[in-house]
Amino acid sequence: MSRIVQGMNIKEVLKTVREANGYYITNTARDLSQSDFKNRILLHTDLMAAQAREKAGYFSLEITGGASVHVDILRKQVDPFLKLKLLRDAMPNTMFQTLCRGVNLFGYRPYPQNVIRFTVREFAKYVDVWRVFDFMNYVPNMQAVFEEVQLAGKILEPCICFSTGPEHTDEYYVSKVKEILAVTGEDIVLCIKNHGGLGSPKRIGDLVSAIKSKYPDLVLHYHGHNTDGNDIGRITSAVLAGAEIVDAADHSFCGFYGPPPILTVAQTLKDYGKVAVSLDEEAVIESSDVIRDERPHYELFESQFKGFLPTVQIHKLPGGAMGSSLEQADKGGFLDKMPDILHNELPKVQKELGNYWSVTPGSQILWTTAVSNVQGGDRYGNPSGDLRNLLLGKYGPFPFYEPAEWIYEKVLGADWKQVLEEEGGVEDIEDMDIDKERKILTDRLGREPSEQDLVLYLQHPNDAVDFFKFQEKFGKAHVLPPSIFLKQGGFQLGDEIKFSDCDGKEHLIAIGPSQVAEDGSTSIFLNVDHNVRNYEMAPPVVEGAGPAQVEISKEEVEDLAKVGDMRAPFNANVCELSVDVGDTVKAGDKVAVLEAMKMQTPVVAAMAGVVGSIVAKVGDPLKTGDKIMKISGGNEEEGDA
Amino acid sequence: MKKKILVANRGEIACRIIRAIQELGHIAVAIYETPDNGALHIRVADEAIWLGDGPRVDYLNIERIIQVAKRHDIHAIHPGYGFLAENPDFPKACVENDIIFIGPSSEVIANLGDKVKARKIMAAAKIPMVPGTDNLSDDEDAAVAEALAFGEKYGYPIMLKATAGGGGRGIRQVDGAEDVQEQFSIARAEAIAAFSSGNVYIEKVVVEPKHVEVQIIADKTGETVHLGTRDCSIQRRNQKLVEIAPSLIPDQALLDEICATAVRAAKAANYENAGTVEFLIDSDMNYYFMEINTRVQVEHTVTEMITGIDIVRTQIKLALGKTLLFKQEDVQIRGYAIEMRINAEDPQNNFMPEGGKTVSVYRSPGGYGVRLDGFVYQGFTIPEVYDSLLVKLTVHGYSWNETVDRLRRCLKNYVISGPKTTIPFYLQLVDEPHFQSGDFNTSYIEQHPELLEYRDDDSEVTKLAALIAEIHHEKMNPYAI
Repeated sequence: MSRIVQGMNIKEVLKTVREANGYYITNTARDLSQSDFKNRILLHTDLMAAQAREKAGYFSLEITGGASVHVDILRKQVDPFLKLKLLRDAMPNTMFQTLCRGVNLFGYRPYPQNVIRFTVREFAKYVDVWRVFDFMNYVPNMQAVFEEVQLAGKILEPCICFSTGPEHTDEYYVSKVKEILAVTGEDIVLCIKNHGGLGSPKRIGDLVSAIKSKYPDLVLHYHGHNTDGNDIGRITSAVLAGAEIVDAADHSFCGFYGPPPILTVAQTLKDYGKVAVSLDEEAVIESSDVIRDERPHYELFESQFKGFLPTVQIHKLPGGAMGSSLEQADKGGFLDKMPDILHNELPKVQKELGNYWSVTPGSQILWTTAVSNVQGGDRYGNPSGDLRNLLLGKYGPFPFYEPAEWIYEKVLGADWKQVLEEEGGVEDIEDMDIDKERKILTDRLGREPSEQDLVLYLQHPNDAVDFFKFQEKFGKAHVLPPSIFLKQGGFQLGDEIKFSDCDGKEHLIAIGPSQVAEDGSTSIFLNVDHNVRNYEMAPPVVEGAGPAQVEISKEEVEDLAKVGDMRAPFNANVCELSVDVGDTVKAGDKVAVLEAMKMQTPVVAAMAGVVGSIVAKVGDPLKTGDKIMKISGGNEEEGDA
Repeated sequence: MKKKILVANRGEIACRIIRAIQELGHIAVAIYETPDNGALHIRVADEAIWLGDGPRVDYLNIERIIQVAKRHDIHAIHPGYGFLAENPDFPKACVENDIIFIGPSSEVIANLGDKVKARKIMAAAKIPMVPGTDNLSDDEDAAVAEALAFGEKYGYPIMLKATAGGGGRGIRQVDGAEDVQEQFSIARAEAIAAFSSGNVYIEKVVVEPKHVEVQIIADKTGETVHLGTRDCSIQRRNQKLVEIAPSLIPDQALLDEICATAVRAAKAANYENAGTVEFLIDSDMNYYFMEINTRVQVEHTVTEMITGIDIVRTQIKLALGKTLLFKQEDVQIRGYAIEMRINAEDPQNNFMPEGGKTVSVYRSPGGYGVRLDGFVYQGFTIPEVYDSLLVKLTVHGYSWNETVDRLRRCLKNYVISGPKTTIPFYLQLVDEPHFQSGDFNTSYIEQHPELLEYRDDDSEVTKLAALIAEIHHEKMNPYAI
């Protein structure tokens, strides 16, 4: 029997793959359609498909990692660990796979070593296959994860991120593989991560051949996206050239951007004499059939772009970033500029910034820079904090070439050489005092957190606390199907909702009437298991009520900063307060960090002085012009001019 | 012929009486003080007369009520309970002004209202009584000496009671000789403050008794029947919370004897109209006469449910000159009834009244065996100046278990938003094993502090339902978008 099952160690897995007469398929459910959509698939849907997916005989099921850990707690209100536990109960044989962003774990920026190791240890209890990448293909950024995965006895699958262009040669990638193997040893699966779905079938076939000719025993796992509609071609080439494992997804939930349909891969390769080992095609069909009717409930999250996007070969923006960029363009009112940005500015920025791999968080840097270049007019004149960090080499060295000096000057200032000298290079991030964080979390929750709670908190402090509070208030909501959890427009009077709670207890809730009281509060009546219950909803917050909302322009924010009145220059969450009351600051010192659209931007003092009062708190959502803190200068009058 | 009958009361009992008047084809006239200008009783009445700004002044003003009654050509007055119901001056004033008072005569009320006089009447009729005294001496030193002597003879604890008291007020327990002096001073001061009379007497305390009472009803011919027993043991600080009919004491012969004793007591007092004879029953099943309440009781509903006899209707008919249409043997007890007083109080905050709050949502249960006597409606603001009773939930069932099950169902289906209520406390109570097995006495509430340890329902389904309510209200899931 050549099926690979959960519990096999790496040597058994590699042996089975090498001896098998054919190739294996990974079901990339997590990635099944890029755009916001993929992250939204609820545990409820995955559990519906679990039985058939278990029967299908995949190499692995990618069901966690990437942004999903964050989105699980942020938008799906499910504990990522509980999700894995429940899926494991339903699928005892299938290996679970994650996508880990190396030093960035499942987040967007580097974490301290001890946090990385702690996180990997906890997730390794449920995750069998660890696909690890770094957007700069900088091996040291992945090393801590490599070590912990191997310590945990799990299957390590380092990635080489793939892109196209004159620098992206077979020689380059083969040397990268060598670099990885030098760190990991031979007992790994190597992933060719083609997140953009770039290159032709021939290009991928050549790359696989090149790696295989140098390392014939290395097991290769090809991951690609069907953004241009041609990933079946690339997969076919990869397998024919010797790749042993490929990624695909359930056909009823894919269609654009994501990996192509599993069944199509199997059917195509069969004619080339290649067999999908241990794959039960009937089960593949069944898993698509059982969840097909759920898809309409996710409609809100389907990509704004329909059809295929062969232009990805030009702009290289992967689907994940595409979703958030379209959303940002929509909200920012520049959707009309999208074609220009995607077709002209983004490829230009890509080249100017070293032609590295457009994947999280690098893709976000490219995208926001391109937007800011087009929107602001002054190219690189308004750099994000993350772009600054990129140029400072915080994410690792540029793989091929460094950007032009004028870009450094624009981003880091006239004295950029000195800045680079003083601040440049990969920083060793100091270990976090995890015990201290545990105490802080205990205080915030009013209860002792579990180790897994703590793991979530260390990665996404505010979102994790919000999630824990949600659970306290609303229970374990993963039991609700998307038809309820994602219901748009409210229910109809008399609608009956049936579900089982986390203990398997069946419930019936019937929607009753709603009544609006004089003060605007609404009473919602529900018949809960035959008992009438009333849920009171606070009156809607009326715009303009309360303190008058003052609109402040970005220029005004800058002017106010010059007199020490520090305000948010754009809508963002406070992600760090870098100073305390009483601290002395000088102009240019970072006093806070704001985060918007996954990007962090420092707020710097515009004058020297002493921090008088801090109004904002970490985690606060600020609107443009909201106060952050006051700095009083030596000879300036305190307060506004 | 249609007669105008004035209801000298407010709240749920006013509504209850108005219904009976209207069912009899008479004209129901309500009175009210200003804080009650949004109250239901003045809306359901055929006429309503404003008395004054009150509060609790005009409802107690006999002169004023008689004045408006005469002006409005009132034929009879029903006093309800509380306010003037047991004030002998009220029936007297009625009679003097040719208005029928629906209740016993002034003299009977005066005799039975004076607890010492009442004891004398009952002693003469050989009604078993808790050992007690006459009024203690006016002189404080002498009174204390009398109390000490009583305590010496019968043992402590003893109870100091205001002779003119009632409704659980003006009562002080003394646990030992050393407390007599202090408690006496307080009891007398309270008696003067509450009843304008410093008369205080003593009764031996029956430790942890059951409170069992008998509904009696008598016509002008002296025909006196009882309508069975009620158990009102579940009290908090002498205020009844839950009333049950009939008593769950399994010894039917004992209950029959108590009922017969009640009829004898009523006859001894020359009682006319509806009244209640209250007894205490100790742990050895000895029973003692306590007092006769000369009014319709809050808990009359449970008796109505098990006998099918409309007590208030009967009261009116008797007062208007009719005689009883049924004899003792016609009275049949069927099943069980439980009444719970749903008060606007926060049980977890020492049953603090929630007056002043507006009932934003009011949805009541219904169905077989369910009776509601209330005056609350959605949008009603509870006046702060009156009592906190919102509605009496009375359920009737064939068996005790059925009745408790029905009660639980009704409590669960009750929705009252705005003020906190005693409902969550009662929900605890209905599931308490001693209550379910009928094993309770007057110290039940003190002995079950755990009944107060409820939390807002935090079951998984309630939480998820809260999320569904929000998804419904927001027209999307704010935690998913």
